[in-house]
Amino acid sequence: MQGCYNGTMKKYLCLGCGFSYDEARGLPEHGIVPGTRWADIPDDWVCPDCGTPKSGFEMVEIPYWSQA
Amino acid sequence: MSVNFILRAGERGFSRLVSTGINATYVAGHPDGVITRHSSFNFHEYQSGIAGFGSIRVFGDEVFSPGGTGYNMHPHHNFIIAAFVLSGALTHVNTIGKVDELRAGDYYVFSAGSGGKHTELNIGQEDLQVIYLWVLPDHLLGPPSYLRGRFDVAVNGNAITCLIGNEPGALPIGQSIKVSRLVNDRARTHVYRPVRGNGVYAFVLEGEAEIAGTLLARRDSLAFSGEERVEIAARSASDLLLVETAL
Repeated sequence: MQGCYNGTMKKYLCLGCGFSYDEARGLPEHGIVPGTRWADIPDDWVCPDCGTPKSGFEMVEIPYWSQA
Repeated sequence: MSVNFILRAGERGFSRLVSTGINATYVAGHPDGVITRHSSFNFHEYQSGIAGFGSIRVFGDEVFSPGGTGYNMHPHHNFIIAAFVLSGALTHVNTIGKVDELRAGDYYVFSAGSGGKHTELNIGQEDLQVIYLWVLPDHLLGPPSYLRGRFDVAVNGNAITCLIGNEPGALPIGQSIKVSRLVNDRARTHVYRPVRGNGVYAFVLEGEAEIAGTLLARRDSLAFSGEERVEIAARSASDLLLVETAL
């Protein structure tokens, strides 16, 4: 079950700087708990590193280096 | 062969960044410092063009005015950022610990990976002309790295020369991306052989070249795919960058 659950979690990459958001990991240091869906992040949220708006992120299906 | 798109020089996005006002901390330089950027793909405030091609997301044709103009130290993750210096001198500083100066023919590949920052400056007395290429990595949050190389036209002119990729003499970055340069001293025809299924973004830095029946002039570009053998016919002394990417 857990595998199926994780498989539906998506990653998003900031096209302004490359910062990545992973729904499974969230951003606890920025107040976003693990498991938070991209759709549930406010539209006025911006990249914590470069200020690019949420609309400037792209969903990516790229594995982590640590999984390679 | 299918031509994915043709992008004429004048159709690219254009930004003029000054070192005052809203960009005062991002853009380095004295108050008259200016960066001009022609973007082949959507980038920052330019969002009405082409989103990307394969793993390519940024192809910026930039000019930094002299005297310290550039980008102050700023953060990146993940993107593989390459710079190809066409004229002038680029001072590059990164958080891997590298301080570098690159001149015409020099290029670098900075993989931001798990996180890094860099500064790009023109501290010289003439304009810096530089091409910036950003590609998505094959893996996220890998170890950051910096490599530099040099294209020497006296040695590698009149031939398709791999700058980045898994070929002898090229910078190996362990990625599926491949960047080549082709400088011709007169009209010549070459054959480029992409990996099956890949696409190629061809950008004319100088001169004229014909690809897939399309004549490209200075700063025009074209993307093609679906062919294992592509003729690139330089119509004059010319200079091209070729970026091959998985689609």
